[in-house]
Amino acid sequence: MNNKLAAVTFALLLGAVALDAAAQAKPEVMVKQRQAVMTLQGKYFGPMAGMAQGKIPYNAQVVQRNAAFLEALSKMAWDGFDPSTKGEKSNALPAIWDKSGEFKQAVERLESEAAKLAQVAKSGDEGAVKAQVGAVGKSCGGCHENFRQKQ
Amino acid sequence: MSLRTSPAAAGLLLFALLCFVALDGALAQGDAKRGQYLAKAGGCVGCHTEDREGAVAFAGGRALKTPFGTFYGPNITPDQKAGIGRWSEADFIQAMRHGLRPDGANYFPAFPYPSFTKITDADLKDLWAYLRSLSPNARANTPHDLRFPFGWRWLVWIWKWLFFTPGPFQPDPAKSGILNRGAYLVDALGHCGECHTPRNFLGAPKSSRYLAGGKLPDGKGVPNLTPTRLKKMSDKDLKDFLQTGQTPDGDVVAESMGEVIRNTTSQLTPPDLEALLAYLRSVAPLPEEKK
Repeated sequence: MNNKLAAVTFALLLGAVALDAAAQAKPEVMVKQRQAVMTLQGKYFGPMAGMAQGKIPYNAQVVQRNAAFLEALSKMAWDGFDPSTKGEKSNALPAIWDKSGEFKQAVERLESEAAKLAQVAKSGDEGAVKAQVGAVGKSCGGCHENFRQKQ
Repeated sequence: MSLRTSPAAAGLLLFALLCFVALDGALAQGDAKRGQYLAKAGGCVGCHTEDREGAVAFAGGRALKTPFGTFYGPNITPDQKAGIGRWSEADFIQAMRHGLRPDGANYFPAFPYPSFTKITDADLKDLWAYLRSLSPNARANTPHDLRFPFGWRWLVWIWKWLFFTPGPFQPDPAKSGILNRGAYLVDALGHCGECHTPRNFLGAPKSSRYLAGGKLPDGKGVPNLTPTRLKKMSDKDLKDFLQTGQTPDGDVVAESMGEVIRNTTSQLTPPDLEALLAYLRSVAPLPEEKK
């Protein structure tokens, strides 16, 4: 076997393994992962919400960092809502899969509001940041309203 | 405008104003500023405002889905045609205290007058003064969309006879002022029980399950507000939650309560928030509703 062929075979094999791993992620693992994303979103959103409401002093640097983290995190949870996880114990409601169009809209709303927040955070406009934090909070709550079991 | 140039018009206006002041002074005029605070504590804006970006506050339009059909909150701005511009203060007090329209017909209890009847006269006058101070908006009301036969308003007489006790809140002399204030905020203005107390098949709150939570008609869960559940949370956690909509672990509450928090609980003065919590901690602990 020449080297090129070996490399291609190896790459294909790796690819197959990787794909396989993704497809085979166990439902309970996916639930755990998406919950971890939610937890981290809370971790980075919490202080910004506190600043927007004047409960803690405003810190533009923290906001810029947290908003950037949140923008990335806002994209991560969704492939964890695989249909295979329906039977797992979690607060996810069946509406996620029954009304997948609406769920996707809610997801996109969070993604775009979080992206907007990261942008205004860079601009340093405190008023705009505070308003946008509110918009992000609403998009979290909007999704929790219809797709999460109330606690 | 020619007000400045026309002394006759200015004089007329002044005269009209003086009449107003004299009249209202005689009847103890409501305080619009206090009324604004009370309107927040009552969460009026929620049902009386459309659920969309840029909606005009108090111009009506929010849909409330129930097993009896969908109700739409009406326009309560002082518009002559679309709103309540032609009402008198007495009409307003009759609506809130007795659940009756100016023409004497019943309101459906989707309008939470079983709670609002407990609001004191002085507070009703202030609320009225505040509503009069809003800018009129011509947004036309959306008719309710009710299932047969619930659209018959006279049926509400029976419902009222069974379930409705009119009359302002009576403080319990055996309890402290703060607990009475809390009870007033929760039961009269805040109308918390309208969602947090489960209802029977006729849509009346089950008094034996007061504030014990359960499920809304659309299947959404509503938490138990009695000490059974609240004892797990500190006063600080609860205050933070009612001011920000966030729990200590950074979780964001769902939007229905999120809206209540934005419009009402985060707007309460610190002593009122204290009173509200103290009262909730004092109610009878009830187990969670069976799922």
